[in-house]
Amino acid sequence: MHHAIISCLHANLPAVEAVLNDIDKQGIDTITCLGDLVGYGPQPNEVVELIRKRGIATCQGCWDEDIIDGLNACECSYPSQLAERRGHLAHQWTDDQLTDENKCFLASLPTSLRRDRLLFVHGSPNSQHEYLLPDMDAFAALERVETAGADILFCGHTHQPYVRELRDGSIRVRLQSAEHGNDQGEELTLPMRKIVNAGSVGEPRHGSTNATYVIHNDATDEVEIKEVAYDVARTCQAIIEAGLPKVFAWRLSHGFEFAEQAEDASHVCER
Amino acid sequence: MIERWALVSGLRGDLETYELIQRDLKKTRGVTALFVLGDLVGPERNCDALLDRLRNPHRGDLKPDCIYGWWEEQLLAERGFRGERKADALRLSQGEDTVSALLNTVNPSHLKWLASLQFGFIELDCALIHGSSSDVGDNLTAETSPLILLDRLTRLNVNRLFTARSTKQFHLELTGGGINSQVKDLNGKREQQQEVPKRSVIGIGAGLNYTLYDIGSDKTHFLTAGSKTNPKGKGFA
Ligand SMILES: [Zn+2]
Ligand SMILES: [Zn+2]
Repeated sequence: MHHAIISCLHANLPAVEAVLNDIDKQGIDTITCLGDLVGYGPQPNEVVELIRKRGIATCQGCWDEDIIDGLNACECSYPSQLAERRGHLAHQWTDDQLTDENKCFLASLPTSLRRDRLLFVHGSPNSQHEYLLPDMDAFAALERVETAGADILFCGHTHQPYVRELRDGSIRVRLQSAEHGNDQGEELTLPMRKIVNAGSVGEPRHGSTNATYVIHNDATDEVEIKEVAYDVARTCQAIIEAGLPKVFAWRLSHGFEFAEQAEDASHVCER
Repeated sequence: MIERWALVSGLRGDLETYELIQRDLKKTRGVTALFVLGDLVGPERNCDALLDRLRNPHRGDLKPDCIYGWWEEQLLAERGFRGERKADALRLSQGEDTVSALLNTVNPSHLKWLASLQFGFIELDCALIHGSSSDVGDNLTAETSPLILLDRLTRLNVNRLFTARSTKQFHLELTGGGINSQVKDLNGKREQQQEVPKRSVIGIGAGLNYTLYDIGSDKTHFLTAGSKTNPKGKGFA
């Protein structure tokens, strides 16, 4: 069975509509959403209501969490102080716009969803704010999947779609302990695991303006990264009309090619 | 000349144990630093005398450098030093009585000092932390999956992590291995190979059980204060 995974919708209604349309056209009816329904974009209520209406299983993203809890994230969530200031502006605007009912819905979202050996999270199993970047340390990446007890981990949050296969892993160790003295050493064989990042529907950062999502085949475990064109100009217009920072519109129309990247992606905010 | 560190934890208010360790260290060659990796306090006995001694070393004491541990975290949380968080972990695992016992073992005059203690030290290419950078209560042992141990080392980007939370004494070295990874994105596919870095996690023990670490030779010695063992006798290469 094929199922679709979407993430980081970011209140961009034209992008969400285009992606759902693309999924419907293929006759796929299981859709999982990895959160960040709101933030940056101009149509937070419309996007939340569409997801609710369609009954799409959703986990909570970093923006969804922050809208509910107030800005819990420390500065480390932002790549720079400038990005932080803009983030705060967008946060305030989204907070003002969202209806109480939609806020309640975001508050009710779980931090993870599990279907057998598949685990769905926003950032990582540790935190909605942790970035699992495609080239992060392979052992650390495997640790996230393994500790969570999954075969395949679906995540978003980086806004860059990718499929990473981790295989043929082993770790040799030698133990010296007060109880047992010197040990001969042993080798641990690591299991094969996959991380699938669904990219972003509403705020792509992979170098093109197209929305991205992924389709996973349950039987073969094949993953396809999909790109969908949508009416970017319509969203940009709405961003400017809403009085949101213009740079968000500029970013959408450039596919975020000059994106600021989090410097220390492995950093997890302890707060 | 040998240069070695002494690593101590889990004193939990026991001044007598601390004095035995100090006496041991006085007889040991080359000890240049004494690190106390948390759990200075505990619910079993009044901790004020030990805290006084740690804060105001006697003449002849090796001066201790302290960080906070799991028990300090519980105490400080319950005393309002951690925002809205209370001693939830302690309450859950040992109940309300232990929480109040803990509050009674430490005079409030010590709280500010305890709250000023750091989470950990980075010395040379080593991290000294009560649990790990993941959590002060991270219970790393020799049985913990090497994948998790490697992750904790990677998070800190150090070659050695000295940890105390498990109260066990062990030196687990990652000696080899690797992993292949393939990344597919919209630009295509790329393969990566990564080797296991030569790194170690060292459990330093608790209470009378402490550890000496020889910096130059990367040797650990697991000792018990007051016993007759010669530091050389129990060395591990
Ligand atoms: Zn996002
Ligand atoms: Zn996010």
